[in-house]
Amino acid sequence: MIKLNNIFKQYISNNEKIIALDHISFTIAKGDLVVLKGASGSGKSTVLSLIASLTKPTSGDIEVKNTKISKLSDNFASTFRQQNIGFIFQKYNLIPNISVKDNIILPLIPTNPDELFVNSRANSVMKLFNIEHKQNIIVRNLSGGEQQRVAIARSMINDPDIILADEPTANLDEALSLDFIKTLKELKDLGKTIVVATHDPLFFELDFVTKTINMKNGHIVE
Amino acid sequence: MLKLNKYLIEFAINSILRDKTKNIFIFIVFSLLIFILSSVFLVTSSLQKELNLTADSLPDIIVQKMSAGRISAINTDIADEILQIKGVTNAIPRVWGYYYFENAGINFSVVGIDQFETQYKNSLKQITQQYDFSDLDDFMIVGKGVKKVLEQNYYKDYFNFIKPNGDFKKIKIKAVFNDNLTLESNDMVLVSKDTAYEIFGIDEDKATDIVVNVANPVEVKTIAYKIKMMFPDTRVITKEDLKISYTNIFNYKTGIFLSLFIVSLFTFFMIIYDKSSSLSSQAKREIGILKALGWKTDDILKEKFYESFLLSFISYIVGVGVSFIYVYILQAPLLRDVFMGYSVLKPPFELIFSCDIKTFALIFFLSVPIYIAATIFPSWRASIVDADEVIR
Amino acid sequence: MFLNPQILSITILDIIFLIFGTVVFFLSLQIYFKWDFNSSSPLQYKLEKQSFLNAVIIKYIFYLKLPLFLFFIFTLDSLSDVITGAMCAAGVIDATSYGMPLFILKIANIYLFGFWLLIHHIDMRYPNLEFTKLKFGYFLVIFVLFVLEIYMELALFNSIDISKMVSCCGTLYSASATSAISSIFNIDSHIFVYIFYGSYFINLLFYKIKNAYGFTLGNIVFLIISIVSLIRFFSPYIYELPTHHCPFCILQGDYYYIGYILYITLFAGTFYGMVTLISKSLDKQNTNYFKISIIFSSLYVLIVTTYPIIYYIKNGVWLN
Repeated sequence: MIKLNNIFKQYISNNEKIIALDHISFTIAKGDLVVLKGASGSGKSTVLSLIASLTKPTSGDIEVKNTKISKLSDNFASTFRQQNIGFIFQKYNLIPNISVKDNIILPLIPTNPDELFVNSRANSVMKLFNIEHKQNIIVRNLSGGEQQRVAIARSMINDPDIILADEPTANLDEALSLDFIKTLKELKDLGKTIVVATHDPLFFELDFVTKTINMKNGHIVE
Repeated sequence: MLKLNKYLIEFAINSILRDKTKNIFIFIVFSLLIFILSSVFLVTSSLQKELNLTADSLPDIIVQKMSAGRISAINTDIADEILQIKGVTNAIPRVWGYYYFENAGINFSVVGIDQFETQYKNSLKQITQQYDFSDLDDFMIVGKGVKKVLEQNYYKDYFNFIKPNGDFKKIKIKAVFNDNLTLESNDMVLVSKDTAYEIFGIDEDKATDIVVNVANPVEVKTIAYKIKMMFPDTRVITKEDLKISYTNIFNYKTGIFLSLFIVSLFTFFMIIYDKSSSLSSQAKREIGILKALGWKTDDILKEKFYESFLLSFISYIVGVGVSFIYVYILQAPLLRDVFMGYSVLKPPFELIFSCDIKTFALIFFLSVPIYIAATIFPSWRASIVDADEVIR
Repeated sequence: MFLNPQILSITILDIIFLIFGTVVFFLSLQIYFKWDFNSSSPLQYKLEKQSFLNAVIIKYIFYLKLPLFLFFIFTLDSLSDVITGAMCAAGVIDATSYGMPLFILKIANIYLFGFWLLIHHIDMRYPNLEFTKLKFGYFLVIFVLFVLEIYMELALFNSIDISKMVSCCGTLYSASATSAISSIFNIDSHIFVYIFYGSYFINLLFYKIKNAYGFTLGNIVFLIISIVSLIRFFSPYIYELPTHHCPFCILQGDYYYIGYILYITLFAGTFYGMVTLISKSLDKQNTNYFKISIIFSSLYVLIVTTYPIIYYIKNGVWLN
């Protein structure tokens, strides 16, 4: 499903070359739940960005669902992302002054969908994550847990095959973190392929994690 | 086909509301600038139209006698001599002048008219047909502005002119003009020629000036030259000369105003560009998020376009709308004084409606697209940069 | 001559185009020679990113060239007021040796850049970017013509001498002139009319059977014959004067600027016609181009035909 081939990624920051990923390769099969483990700066967020085609590698290539996404131009990459990938950010990154429903349908807007379609998708996803009753509430008035559910719902609105989560529990207390982990399991049971980048120990001994990839300084370590 | 994306538009509106303070500031400044620009154009175009209407009814040539650099009364026989020149249709001596009404501190234009003469102006012709002048020896017809001033000074239906020798001449008001040339007839007082001679103390074989009409407009210059050759102590002014000098005064004032204005508009845009060319980290972050959610660069640009278009277009409409109210309903206080010059001595008048689509289109194209481009460009730049760095 | 504000603004824009264009030229060289889509090397990724930005610049140069061309015509027309003897743009063009070649080159460049835009559009439709190399290689060629155009334009403005008398279009576009144009006046005008309508109907046929080769060729012929027949036969009916053949005077306000409409429809029609072949050979047959082309061409034929007809109805005779 997801294949990284000899990925080398380098940034130039303040006239210094920073190597984010140093010739790494790995494969993720369909339906896997993979945890990318490592401290900040280890390169795990970069891996997620590459899989989502938000950035291109300096050399090497990435194949997702048999498509060489690293070679896709901006428009094609965005379309691919919109159809196949759901992103859950570290700080949710919800838009505070609009409603729950408006936040959730955000990924659908550019396709100029018709109202029936939008409503049916929104309702099914809100029901799934139990925030349907709050759909018209402005997001900044929600509790932390509710915002989390909105963020997850948003990532699922397109029914993507792949879910990417970047440090999803970094700002959560233990109770909410465990809630989140429970939701991840449910998503895996639905057949989604999930990649989580985290250094939260709660993820390390889970039984439904297919494999854990340790990263340090842009390398994969055992 | 081209279904408007209502979700996108809604998102754009919410986006504008999300940054209330900055956007309200832009809205107010933008509208204000458009308002000023639009008002200036409306006022000057209204005055110009007024002027052109007046100028067209002016005689082709005016001949005045000059003595020691000042205008003095001219002999009426000169008119007969001018009539001999080929191409001249008529040469009419005029008796008119300014009468200073001390109490109100205002000048009236007093014009002498003789019912049985050829009138040099169509409007005067109409008046001779409309009113009966046979008893005009003690009657006058006044403009609206004059009537108002007289009433303010407790003269209801007559007025006492003071002759040069100190005697009074009482003249009754017969009627009030409803001419459509408000600028010109507003302060005009029409009396019989004899009355005019009396009020100004001019000899009956002289006149204030002589107006000449020429059959072929192309020949006006040549005939003016001929007249000047025949009577070297006269000043010969053609209609063209008058139009040009009026236009020059106008353009001069408009020019100063516009250059000051363009500087401020330019400054405004520089501020906008500066503020938006390095997008706030908040804005960059938002673009990064949208990209991560699957928005294409084109979609982000479309949204930014809606935002800036809505903001600038509404500002434009408001600016223009308020300027119309300001100019035509409030009659442009302050601004019209700038263009009319010292208007203290002139009785009040109304600005006539004159609207030129080309000017408004020009204002639109000079402001809205530039603003949109200035705000879209940084968003475009932010969008094509790798979005991943933004989300950390 | 450069201090005229219109010429000054055109010159400034030309220089800006030249700078941007040269930058893109060098980047295009790199892309043309080093492009290898299947590679995953740092160079290839850099080229892919650059090709996107390059294309944006070329796109905007072209989008600006179109209104600039109209502005150029407008400037020529207004220059005719200061150059002795010139009553319209024709006289201005005749004032120097650069005039006519520049004019033809400008029109050709608009077509060529338009073709580039089409290739770019097709290239962007497919993720494999198969036509990127071709696209930039083509740009390398048309860039040379682009630079030539700017050079000639600046030379033109530089060499205009307002004190030198030029011929008016009346003498230029008549049998007495010594240019190539004059030869068309020795042939009976009806022949041109037959060829004009003939080529239009042949194009209609090609449109019906959607044959791209025929349609493209037909449109090239149609373009040439339209201009020639406009000069030789139709323009006197617009001017209502049998000796007035100038193709530039119809751009003036006296004739309600009909010239702009005629030329825009003619160029749009023939452009979309020629584009059908490119579309077919690179991508697939696109019936929309056929449709747009025939609509504009028909519009042109319609407008240009109504003038003689209205003249005949008003006056009961044909001119010449």
